[in-house]
Amino acid sequence: MTSRRSLVAVVDDDESVRESLPDLLRELGFAARAFSSAEEYLASGAIGRTKCLILDVAMPGMSGPDLQQELARRRQAIPIVFITAHQDETVRPRLLAQGAVECLFKPFSEAALLAALDTALRAA
Amino acid sequence: MRRSEAFLAEAQRLSSTGSFSWRVASGEIKWSDEAYRIYGIEPGVPVTFELIRTRVHPDNLPMLQEVIDRARREGGDFDYESRLLMPDHSVKYVHVVARGGRNQDGELELVGTVQDVTERRLSEEALSKARSELAHVARVTTLGALTASIAHEVNQPLSGIITNASTCLRMLDADPPNVAGARVTAQRTLRDGNRASDVITRLRALFGNQSATTEAVDLNEATREVIALSLSELQGGGVILRAELADGLPRVTGDRVQLQQVILNLLRNAADAMSGVDDRPRHVVISTEQDEGDRVRLTVRDAGVGFDPQAVNRLFDAFYTTKSGGMGIGLSVSRSIIESHQGRLWATPNDGPGATFSFSIPCAAELAPPDAAGAVRPLAGTHVEHAMGGL
Repeated sequence: MTSRRSLVAVVDDDESVRESLPDLLRELGFAARAFSSAEEYLASGAIGRTKCLILDVAMPGMSGPDLQQELARRRQAIPIVFITAHQDETVRPRLLAQGAVECLFKPFSEAALLAALDTALRAA
Repeated sequence: MRRSEAFLAEAQRLSSTGSFSWRVASGEIKWSDEAYRIYGIEPGVPVTFELIRTRVHPDNLPMLQEVIDRARREGGDFDYESRLLMPDHSVKYVHVVARGGRNQDGELELVGTVQDVTERRLSEEALSKARSELAHVARVTTLGALTASIAHEVNQPLSGIITNASTCLRMLDADPPNVAGARVTAQRTLRDGNRASDVITRLRALFGNQSATTEAVDLNEATREVIALSLSELQGGGVILRAELADGLPRVTGDRVQLQQVILNLLRNAADAMSGVDDRPRHVVISTEQDEGDRVRLTVRDAGVGFDPQAVNRLFDAFYTTKSGGMGIGLSVSRSIIESHQGRLWATPNDGPGATFSFSIPCAAELAPPDAAGAVRPLAGTHVEHAMGGL
């Protein structure tokens, strides 16, 4: 039923993000799926349907930027919105320079999320 | 005889150590050749205190006077370091040791050595500067890392709270409202709120007062330990410290190490407040006394720059500082330590230059020591007066 709608994938090791963000995305009219690790996402077969990836920066195992590189290697041009709880201002320009659409610092507002998704889907 | 004199002169030259004698009554001062060389004065020139003053660094002049006065009064020994300011504006560090006694004529005479320790002192200073810069960097880095980790721990649940609350509003605003969905998101909001609160509780357990130990503390003894630890640092800053510790002081209940941190902080602040003072002696008086209402009071009085009475309330704010290198948390932490001892820490401007910081804390619930006369008098005043000067 949701397959025709744009899939927004959420990859974050934090459970409260995995619980809350897909619900909000659905309320905003997107199809959403959450993954607890980069590895789980890569193995899910959801890559081809993903119109936007909301990706945590720091995760155990494969990090957000690692996943970004892996997707580039696989020539998967998925717009990426990074999210992070580390408010390090030096991280954002670096991630944007490497091709990310946006980098949001947790906690972020619904308006900031919508604006980032808007940019991402226009890029797609 | 001539040979041994030559040996002696050679030894003095090699070790950069001159010798001197001072007949206190007549004021006659004799220097060895090496002493003349160290002070940069032509050998044979009659030595007077006037002449010596032309070489002593202006910062050390008030202390030179103290040492001279004390020697005249008591004829005691002295052992101190001082700086010389040479005519070419270079600075020398000298270590002076003297012993007082009666010579064969029964006159009071001080005999001593003056050693040029400039090289050693300069390398020690460089080392100490590097060490304190490193300590500052380590402190700031630790605090920065700590802040980042706290922010991360709190931002995660906050993120959940804000996302869930947004979802909850949208579900309630829908037509028809999704009440069941809204309830689930409200419950998640509560859970994340508790999670954020748990983070704060854990932090408080980590940095709170639970770890403080409570024992009967002799504040005089605790103060003497702090003085012993910080004496060389204070002397290095040209500070003359006098301790007036009351006899028979009742003990207080508290954490000895925490109280010593407060005392050390007050002493350091006093020294820092006087670091730019050159027109008067850098005197600090630390005193203890019994206070009204079964309390003990400790006071640190300096002759430093003082503080703006308008700013007295801000003195104790975290991150308020008048020092270029300071973090501004010393007084704030000190006050919270004293308050956790059911005590009070306050500051008053002096009538003259400088400021006075005092704290007052309750005595331990025990019988006062047997000799509790309550009399306030300097404790062995001559031995705790730590002067630096220059001859």
